Amino acid sequence: MSGLALAGSNRSHFWRVFFIGGLISYRALFYWISPWQYIPTMLGAPLFQILFFVYLGRAAGVGSTNFFVVGNSIQICSMAGIYGMTMAIANERSFQTLSPILATPSNRLALFLGRGLPVLITALQTCLFGFLVSALLLDFRPSLPDLPGLALAVLVTSASCTGFGMALGSIGLRVRDVFLVSNIAYFLMLLLCGVEVPIGRLPLALQAVAQLLPLTHGIAAGRALAAGAGFLSTVPDILLELLVGGAWAAAAYLLFAYFERSGRRSGAFDRL
Amino acid sequence: MSIAQELAGPVFRRGPSALFWPRTLITGWFFQLKMQAQSGFMVLTALVQPLIFASIAMTDQQAGNRTLPLLYFALGAGIMGIWSTVVFGCGGVISWQRHQGMLEPLVMAPSPFVLVLLGVTLGTATVGLYSMGATLLWGWLVFGAHMHFAAPLLFVAAVVVTVVSLGLLGLVLGSSFVLYRNSNAISNMLEYPVWLITGLLVPLSLLPGWTHPLAYLLAPTWGVQALRAAAIGGDSAKPLMWCAVVSVAYLLLGVWLVRVVERRARQHATLNFQ
Repeated sequence: MSGLALAGSNRSHFWRVFFIGGLISYRALFYWISPWQYIPTMLGAPLFQILFFVYLGRAAGVGSTNFFVVGNSIQICSMAGIYGMTMAIANERSFQTLSPILATPSNRLALFLGRGLPVLITALQTCLFGFLVSALLLDFRPSLPDLPGLALAVLVTSASCTGFGMALGSIGLRVRDVFLVSNIAYFLMLLLCGVEVPIGRLPLALQAVAQLLPLTHGIAAGRALAAGAGFLSTVPDILLELLVGGAWAAAAYLLFAYFERSGRRSGAFDRL
Repeated sequence: MSIAQELAGPVFRRGPSALFWPRTLITGWFFQLKMQAQSGFMVLTALVQPLIFASIAMTDQQAGNRTLPLLYFALGAGIMGIWSTVVFGCGGVISWQRHQGMLEPLVMAPSPFVLVLLGVTLGTATVGLYSMGATLLWGWLVFGAHMHFAAPLLFVAAVVVTVVSLGLLGLVLGSSFVLYRNSNAISNMLEYPVWLITGLLVPLSLLPGWTHPLAYLLAPTWGVQALRAAAIGGDSAKPLMWCAVVSVAYLLLGVWLVRVVERRARQHATLNFQ
């Protein structure tokens, strides 16, 4: 019988696995959780990333400070989304704990999605920090009425990146060095998703790829809100970002289920 | 000669003693070069990442209204790649040897430990040369950067001095990071600030004045200035000289730090302490 068929029917069991299981997994598998890791990696590196690209824009004489502040402050959520989710799923295999987990009758959806919630909160914290330091150091001042819309764009983009990270993490159930894949994805998104370069400057094929990636529409919405375009004009972008993130999360779940089934057949869950 | 006699003698000191240090250094350098070239992470750091940053910088440059040549950015992105390999490859060099169970044999061996580490850090910095070649080729092929080198011989000299200098800076990083358990987190944080304040893609004149003294202490600042002067035109002798001066300072500091770390680890029996 497949693990998916063993899904628990008890609702409280579902939420227990979702919340408590998700939190325990996060504490166990997220490398950067200690302050000695978290502060330099999740706060220090993003701060310097924002400053670096703002000054690079000034050196090239392209874009405004706000263009780079919004792009990078939203993009840094992908650090938690991509690396955090990769760790939360693929590290089970690295630590040889995947087989015991998949031997349990726990609901797979709860098991899978519960890991995303702490990562999503971490991603939001990082974004918030990015905007705060930009306000302090780079004089970033969005208009007050647009703040709720900007917060929604950040929330949706963080969720979308978490969905994308889930897909990468699921690939880690099979691929030996998934962090290499995550690293390449993370840096390519800097180039493709309109973070540092307006998407219109990219070749058409890359523009098409950008539409399928998280960040692209969320950053576009964020920039429009920061420019005072009004919430209603950004709704299509926010919905598209949600759609992209949902599609990646669904793909991730299907990949997870597929690798679980094939792992059961071959008896090779923890093969490194 | 029996094995016991072999081990009692100066195992690694056969041949002319004058060649002992260079031989140890070259062997360590070559071995590290081969090892790092097999690492997917290092290939990413030295090849993929600099190409992405070079593409961003050159695309922004083409879209913007400044007139800096594309070669300026290709060279800067190349040094960015070398710095990344140094900060990740050298930052945790002692911790990595410890993790692999190699620290005790290396410290115990008759070869001076600092010489072994120096070979490793120089080898790591040399792997970064991939990024220099890759960004120049990428700039030329994809962005049509004009690849005319004003002083080719000086350019080669600048590349060699810059790589050696960054390798020596790696020795300082490696020996100081060992005191910090989460050295990989420091490495994560050190990429962008050094890229920024050393003027690899952003001219120093655009940065606040208080960052300049820090920049002058760092080899990438002088290395990239020497490379740009040799490639685009200008006086490369002065930055080359300063690159050599900071290299000597790194060497002295690195030797001292390694000795301190080694002595403390022996005294407290913490050589293999994770």
